[in-house]
Amino acid sequence: MWVSLTGLYVGRVDSLRVLFDELRRSGYFVVGYRVVDGVLRLGELSSFDELAQGVEDVQGPGRYSLISGSFYRHGPDSPKKFLYPPYLTLFKVSSGWDVVVPVREVRRLAFFGLKPCDLASIKVLDRVLLGVDDYYESLRKNMVLIVENCTTPGNTCFCSTMNTGPRARDSFDLAYTRLGDKLVLEAGSVLGLKLLNVLEVEPIDDATYERFEATMRNASEKARAGFELNGLPEELELRIESKVYEKVTEKCLGCANCNMVCPTCFCFDVLDVPLIDGSAERVRVWDGCLNFTYGQVAGGHFRPDLWARYRHFVLHKFAYWVKQFGTFGCVGCGRCITWCPTGIDLRETVRSVLRGGKSG
Amino acid sequence: MRKLKVAVYKFSSCDGCQLQFLNLEDELLQLSDLIEFALFYEARRFVGSGPYDVAFVEGSISTPHEVELIKKVREESKVLVAIGACATSGGIQALRNWADAEEYKRYVYPRPEWVEVLRYAEPPSKYVKVDYEIRGCPVSKDQLLSFVLQLLKGKTPPTLPVDSVCVECKRRGNVCVLVAKGIPCLGPVTMGGCGALCPSYGRGCYGCYGPMIDPKPDALNARFKELNIKPKEIQLLFKQFTNWSKEFRKVVEEYE
Ligand code: SF4
Ligand code: SF4
Ligand code: SF4
Ligand code: SF4
Ligand code: SF4
Repeated sequence: MWVSLTGLYVGRVDSLRVLFDELRRSGYFVVGYRVVDGVLRLGELSSFDELAQGVEDVQGPGRYSLISGSFYRHGPDSPKKFLYPPYLTLFKVSSGWDVVVPVREVRRLAFFGLKPCDLASIKVLDRVLLGVDDYYESLRKNMVLIVENCTTPGNTCFCSTMNTGPRARDSFDLAYTRLGDKLVLEAGSVLGLKLLNVLEVEPIDDATYERFEATMRNASEKARAGFELNGLPEELELRIESKVYEKVTEKCLGCANCNMVCPTCFCFDVLDVPLIDGSAERVRVWDGCLNFTYGQVAGGHFRPDLWARYRHFVLHKFAYWVKQFGTFGCVGCGRCITWCPTGIDLRETVRSVLRGGKSG
Repeated sequence: MRKLKVAVYKFSSCDGCQLQFLNLEDELLQLSDLIEFALFYEARRFVGSGPYDVAFVEGSISTPHEVELIKKVREESKVLVAIGACATSGGIQALRNWADAEEYKRYVYPRPEWVEVLRYAEPPSKYVKVDYEIRGCPVSKDQLLSFVLQLLKGKTPPTLPVDSVCVECKRRGNVCVLVAKGIPCLGPVTMGGCGALCPSYGRGCYGCYGPMIDPKPDALNARFKELNIKPKEIQLLFKQFTNWSKEFRKVVEEYE
């Protein structure tokens, strides 16, 4: 499915500021990347000048840094931080046992300059959470998605393989691509079309179009993982006994950073927090399958061995998710690779498992 | 509701953990409506006799006298809770386990023969059954309070986090100092509960909560080597507040 309402338009990079101001004027909380303490962080921006500029993120397995440059990918935060926050009070119980559900202000969020992989992560979360999670749904229904296509994928990016980038194909309101001081734009919704109308743009000319296509083709070549999606769930399940998981897990710490940074990991724990005045709060917090306690149940444990927990992570993303939700659970953002303290590379794990035989 | 009768004991330690009860400044009055500190030398002169519902025990066992005392505490307490790094793994005192305490004695005291110490400073669990552990150097006052409130609500066992500090670090929205700054951090092998205090201030975790559940210190050790962190520095990282815990000790030994 390729949803473009308008086809491609061309404008100037300066028009991003106009777009930003328009969103603010329309009452949106604009969320984008800014540089905080040498790292790109997703946060609410009150002016266009706060948006990160002139930097590039250098990512590799287990390492991250910023240098000066003209194009960046992302940092540890993904939209999940806003749509599915790490702590969410579900309700409170007063000392007299009255249940109080917090009334939440519905914020109109505009993601600005979100990368295609992160857009894809929202599509994945939609399948998991819409109709299930009121909080998610309330934000999702009032949201604008302005996506920046990636002309230069990073070292841990593999969105081409996962079919999620480096160019966004659908589900955005507006997508843009920087080509020098030119901007190639495309609207994907009626709202996006309205926003496009505010900007000074004209239909794309042939030369710019060729340049755009070549740039994106190039980018696409760079964001590959070295395996194919076709038949992947079956191939992996066939090799469920692979010894690769045990081998890889020798480096694993069971720290669950991978789960925490993954934009689609939606697992949670529920904590009951008693307060001194006799009341209590029930809080939902991020959890993940690499944590030991995750698989602990009354009377036993599903996966006491770390390798089995790591295997579950990999197989959920690339096999079980497909059965469960009709989509892969991995969008190829590479965060679990970059932010793994020991630099375990998910791409390498999948390649190794596929290389081996059924029990290799 | 009958008040919970509590005793707070100290062994070889610095008092920092029991002090956390007193640091609960905003809650202390309300708390004293719920529990009675029947024995709490740091806080009051009055000493109420046992048996106690709960004994909070701070400190490691490092003298023969303390061995006898911890046995007595166990006998007179329904629930025994070890609080802090000293009482859960030996703490800072356990650093002397790596050396010869007899020699120290000769240097420090004019009459070393008057000082009676055990060969090792070890947690109370070495000598008696410990029902619960609250980690940290010092323990967090919020965890202490949460633990007490859970007990009062009849939630047994009271639950405290046992997975990695990293989980709390990420939930809190910190940037990983290990990945982004190359600062060695023990968070991936250390039990959560502090709310990732040190990484929240841009420092690596010192591991004061000790090994988390199912920890992998060897893998972290290997990673530190890959990152070219000096052997001495790696050893000192693991040879801190919880150096005598079984899991960290193994790494320390590698570099002895
Ligand atoms: S994975 Fe693809 S879409 Fe995501 S940042 Fe990298 S290149 Fe961009
Ligand atoms: S794969 Fe990496 S991030 Fe995930 S639990 Fe293992 S060591 Fe931690
Ligand atoms: S599994 Fe890793 S690469 Fe895939 S979406 Fe999650 S964090 Fe990104
Ligand atoms: S990979 Fe693990 S943490 Fe992530 S959604 Fe699946 S089970 Fe949950
Ligand atoms: S800073 Fe330390 S505790 Fe936080 S995620 Fe990184 S390794 Fe874990």
